[in-house]
Amino acid sequence: MTISGLGPHGERAAPPERVSLLPEDIAAVKAATRRVAIVLHTLDGDWTRLQISGMLGVFGDCGVVVTEVVDCRFSADRQVAELDRLIAASPDAIVALPVANEQVAAAFGRVSEAGIRLVLLENVPTGLLPGSHYTSLVSSDNFGLGRMAAAGLAPHLAQGAAVGVLGFAADFFATNEREIAFTNWMQANRSDVQTHVLRFGAVDEAADLAERLIADHPEISAFFVVWDTPAMAVSTRFAQAGRSIVIATVDLGEDVAISLAAGKPFVSVAAQQPFQQGVVAARTTILALLGRTIPAWIALPGVPVTRDNVADSFQIIWRKPAPREVLRSLGLTP
Amino acid sequence: MSPHAAETAESSRTRGKGRPRNSETAAPSLVEILDLIRTERATTRQALERESELGRAVVADRLQLLADLGLVDESELGLATGGRAPRLVRFAARRGLVLVATLDQTAIGVGVSDLSGNLLTEHHEAADLTAPVAHLASRLATLFRWCLERQSIPTAPWGISLSVPGTVPSLRDGAFMTATPPVLPAWADFPLVETLTRQFGVPVWMRSSVETMTMGELHAGAGHGLRSMLFIKVGRRIGAGIVCDGQLYRGAQGAAGLIGALPVQSDGLTGTLDAMAGSDMIQREGRAAADTGRSPVLADLLRRGSEITPIEVSQAAQIGDPAAVAILSKSGHLIGQVVATLANALNPDLIVMSGTLAQTNDILLAGIREAVYGASHPLVTRDLRIIRSQMGSSAGLVGAARVASEAIFAPAFLKDWIIQGKPTLHPDFAAFCARAQIAEVPQSVAAPPSVQERIAP
Repeated sequence: MTISGLGPHGERAAPPERVSLLPEDIAAVKAATRRVAIVLHTLDGDWTRLQISGMLGVFGDCGVVVTEVVDCRFSADRQVAELDRLIAASPDAIVALPVANEQVAAAFGRVSEAGIRLVLLENVPTGLLPGSHYTSLVSSDNFGLGRMAAAGLAPHLAQGAAVGVLGFAADFFATNEREIAFTNWMQANRSDVQTHVLRFGAVDEAADLAERLIADHPEISAFFVVWDTPAMAVSTRFAQAGRSIVIATVDLGEDVAISLAAGKPFVSVAAQQPFQQGVVAARTTILALLGRTIPAWIALPGVPVTRDNVADSFQIIWRKPAPREVLRSLGLTP
Repeated sequence: MSPHAAETAESSRTRGKGRPRNSETAAPSLVEILDLIRTERATTRQALERESELGRAVVADRLQLLADLGLVDESELGLATGGRAPRLVRFAARRGLVLVATLDQTAIGVGVSDLSGNLLTEHHEAADLTAPVAHLASRLATLFRWCLERQSIPTAPWGISLSVPGTVPSLRDGAFMTATPPVLPAWADFPLVETLTRQFGVPVWMRSSVETMTMGELHAGAGHGLRSMLFIKVGRRIGAGIVCDGQLYRGAQGAAGLIGALPVQSDGLTGTLDAMAGSDMIQREGRAAADTGRSPVLADLLRRGSEITPIEVSQAAQIGDPAAVAILSKSGHLIGQVVATLANALNPDLIVMSGTLAQTNDILLAGIREAVYGASHPLVTRDLRIIRSQMGSSAGLVGAARVASEAIFAPAFLKDWIIQGKPTLHPDFAAFCARAQIAEVPQSVAAPPSVQERIAP
């Protein structure tokens, strides 16, 4: 699977295999006790749970102690305060997902100034540079995810259809890339399709915005929402109103998988590999602690999921069996 | 005080206290005061009076006017040094935005910066620069609109600055571009500058990618605060950005630093540095090494159906493939010989190597270092650092933003728009804009925006 996007500074992606650990690396990192803190946007949801689980396993194998896992609850102010608190605690490294752009950039700058190794997930605040402000970014190929979702949705769109696109209002590398890639794919491959974009600031605004888009453009028959939680909110709202639409999104949450198996309203999902991403982030952090040369951007390809491959994709991504409703809808279990 | 400032400040200094504001006489002192604030040479009223040698009443009057125009902000307090804390006078960099873009052979990058050249948003994507220019212009316009929409506080753009893969001639007349230079052959038939001006209503500036990346590295990268720096970009072409006395040196035609055209010798052959050491050579020799089996790693890749690009050759060298190491090492030595000549002529503090290969390949960098250190006067290399750029393509965007902010606030241009409050109201630009609006619109951009935006690369 190739990576179609470019990094936050236009970097070409390095594959996850580039950051593998050799036995001597593991021995070297075990020689001293290292402390790592993990700072995430939220601790809710399967994506975060698996990401942490991937990291903890690798860190554990290498004798690296995770001193805390911080929940920033999507708040830039909270993240800044937590980073400043962590700087005082001076762990050897911090793995963090920056929740915003400008508001948190200076605080992340202070982390590297304090000599703490910084590995970023999914997002880089503008102005921070690899090598000087952070070690590396580990993310999904978010541009690829947007294209994948569009390609999966296209067969469900009639000639001249209109699609509502719900982006994320925060200036965030991952969601920006998905939104741009989705509309770009449509322009390039389905120039008959009109896209109408609105952006939500909080997850609970998504359903209201979707209704507003439909009110302004009643011809809209499909939606692309930049991740699954707000997409589910949109799906629930339209189900209650008895309106039939199709939806494409990113991430194969449990409810989305059930809907995908049922055949509607979700028809196309571009899934990330959060467990694998956690593993790669931890390996990157360990190589950073050992002072090895590390690529500026390590990207993991997405997994395109439709009704046909939802059961096995669920296992690959979430490392557990698909929900019973999924298997039942597919006729794989009574 | 600069000779220009001294000359222009006179008119206001001789005016009596309380005399009504007069735009003709106020403009020179406004320009001077804004310049002092913007470059942070003066951050309090007292410092402004001292630096400008203007009276307290004149400074207060001009600051009021600049505040009314939204160009300065006095809301912040400085540190007290005994007595009351002084009110800080800050340049309101968020008064307008600059749209920036880098165009290279395989990718485009877009971004938005404030008026001080600080990047606020950026995005990079793969693109094919050999595609029709109309498509490129359309994609640029779509991405620029997207960047503007993303700003939390809606702000109007004041300029567009482009970084392009070729030499941009120095402007002979006027402070902004009024025609599209034939940087690439395909651009001869398409008015890119005029189209962007028409669509966004702002002046356009353009520099070669080596120049913008040099500016970016100088202002926001490893060169920050240095007076003398060489920036070398290695790709299909090899070019140098030269910084002397803290300024980018452009030369008479804007063609300074085209070191890729210099002849070099290797293996009994003579050719230009571009041909003998650029990424085309690395690809060609890598392919030959794969075909003949001299490089087991590249030969294996070829058998698996992989294309041999300079990246594959570079990766093979990194893991110790002898043939690939020899190719990268040769390229590094040839580049280093030419860079050494420049280093001996200019005695820089720092040499920054840029381009995917130079930034990721240790063997290439080692070859360059070896040649430079071996062929330079000991004094030249005593404290010389040769490093890889850490900025990636961001260097071009940051540099393009600096090009625009320097041009917008260049005293000769500023004096004619400052009273109007924004550069888009500059009389020359307003006239150009009016001409651009009525000029014949090429077929591909005459379509309404909704249709236009659907033309994608």
